[in-house]
Amino acid sequence: MRLDHEFTVPAPLEEVWQAVIDPERVAPCMPGAALTKVEGDSFTGTVKVKLGPISLLYKGSGEFLEKDEAARKVVIKAAGKDSRGGGTAAATVTVTLSSTADGGTHGDVASDIAITGRPAQFGRGLISEVGGKLLDTFAGNLAESLRTDSGAGAAPGSAAASAGSGSVSTAPATAAAPATEAAAKGDLAEQSAADSAEAGSSASKPQLRSVPSGGSTGETEAIDLLDYAGQSVAKRLIPVAAGAAVLFVVFMIIRALRRR
Amino acid sequence: MIPAPFEYVAPSSVDEAVQALAAAGEDAKVLAGGQSLLPVLRMRLAAPTTLVDLRKVAELRGVREDGGDLVIGAMTTHYDVQRDPLVAEHAALLKAATDTVADPQVRHRGTFGGAIAHADPAGDLAAPVLAMDASLVIAGPGGRRTVAAADFFQDFFTTALAPDELLVEVRLPKHTGWRAHYEKFTRVAQAWSMVAVAATVRTEGGVIEEARVALTNMGSTPVRAVAVEQALVGASANADVIRAAAAHAADGTSPAADGNSDVEYRQHLARVLTGRALTAAVGA
Repeated sequence: MRLDHEFTVPAPLEEVWQAVIDPERVAPCMPGAALTKVEGDSFTGTVKVKLGPISLLYKGSGEFLEKDEAARKVVIKAAGKDSRGGGTAAATVTVTLSSTADGGTHGDVASDIAITGRPAQFGRGLISEVGGKLLDTFAGNLAESLRTDSGAGAAPGSAAASAGSGSVSTAPATAAAPATEAAAKGDLAEQSAADSAEAGSSASKPQLRSVPSGGSTGETEAIDLLDYAGQSVAKRLIPVAAGAAVLFVVFMIIRALRRR
Repeated sequence: MIPAPFEYVAPSSVDEAVQALAAAGEDAKVLAGGQSLLPVLRMRLAAPTTLVDLRKVAELRGVREDGGDLVIGAMTTHYDVQRDPLVAEHAALLKAATDTVADPQVRHRGTFGGAIAHADPAGDLAAPVLAMDASLVIAGPGGRRTVAAADFFQDFFTTALAPDELLVEVRLPKHTGWRAHYEKFTRVAQAWSMVAVAATVRTEGGVIEEARVALTNMGSTPVRAVAVEQALVGASANADVIRAAAAHAADGTSPAADGNSDVEYRQHLARVLTGRALTAAVGA
């Protein structure tokens, strides 16, 4: 699923650039996100998403795949896993900055998001809407934080992370807001303990490792924005996979019987 | 699948329930009929620390009259709403919509207030509540407050209810003698509404005196089809008027697209279904 957002902040390009390439400034802009570790261009963290009866905690990691200062373009990839094992989210977010005529900065945020697992079952098309709203909030927070402190210290993170777990794909472009941070998927292990508070039992779960789609993920934090989106595809594949597994088992049994 | 562990309390009064919610913190959930919450728990899409079960709170059940209002307790089941003579007399639209909710098993367990508080955009009861200008009574640590339906539904699954509040009752102004119809379109039986239209009208001598029309699943919340209502009021109740009014049903709506329907299709459905709903309601 591809989402596009844009923002304009009255801060100089250089300042915004510095903010965008700093996970510690970007992450707080994502609703529900918290960083647990930052190492160079990689980060790990969690994103908590609440929507009505649904409450998901994604843990994962992300990294800056590209920081092209000349082009003022940053590409962030993040992937995360629902701490209770319900699914994964991944996003790749590309932020491109440019100066505006009045000395401000314009940012284009393009996000590619893939979500798998049960959240999709609940979705009925809501996932993209919810993801879009999260991105809207992220872009708004980012712009706000840049506005507030225009110095380098601001919290803006423009980079959205993207997560790409690669799982399923996506959906048609929805329009909504782009800035995404990525959802991360990632290692649950580190954070599972933390989650347990929310979920109770989740802590004891084994850690799952998410497979980043596309790239290597560093250990990063996950920011999940869009947890919900996209899982429907995955869900549809489940019966197919199950059917294939059953066929395989039947085949093996038949073969075993024949040997006798 | 098995839900994550949670604490469980079953208070016997609204006050106790409010206290239990406050004590349990923001990750507590209220359990009404459980027809939406339990599947979510079983899929582990949520893992509340505490469930506050309202099934023992007798004061939350039942339908009564209070002056010009019909008051429906939040824990009244859909089955009871369907069969209540007061609802049939004063809120025909709610009865019509409730008749279409899910299947008999769900209607016996599911509750009116639970469905409203859940605020699924495809849920069938929010549109009638909005159309009839209901007021929702909410209990919380600070006492009770009343919220208009137009302010109650805020977004997907999001209402004016705070985590430490619960819906007590819904007050519907009596629409005595109004005719009503709920027209629902689903891809397969028992599915959630792709689009549905709640319409109720009061006619006198062949003239539409008042009209209320609300749409289900044409946005993140139920929406009033104001343009349709305006086109109907004062006009004579005939097919041409209905057709012209229904053409405005999708005005200003921005429904979400999904695998079954894109925006244009949903807007088309809204117009067609509004025509059908009004035709049935007016009896033209």
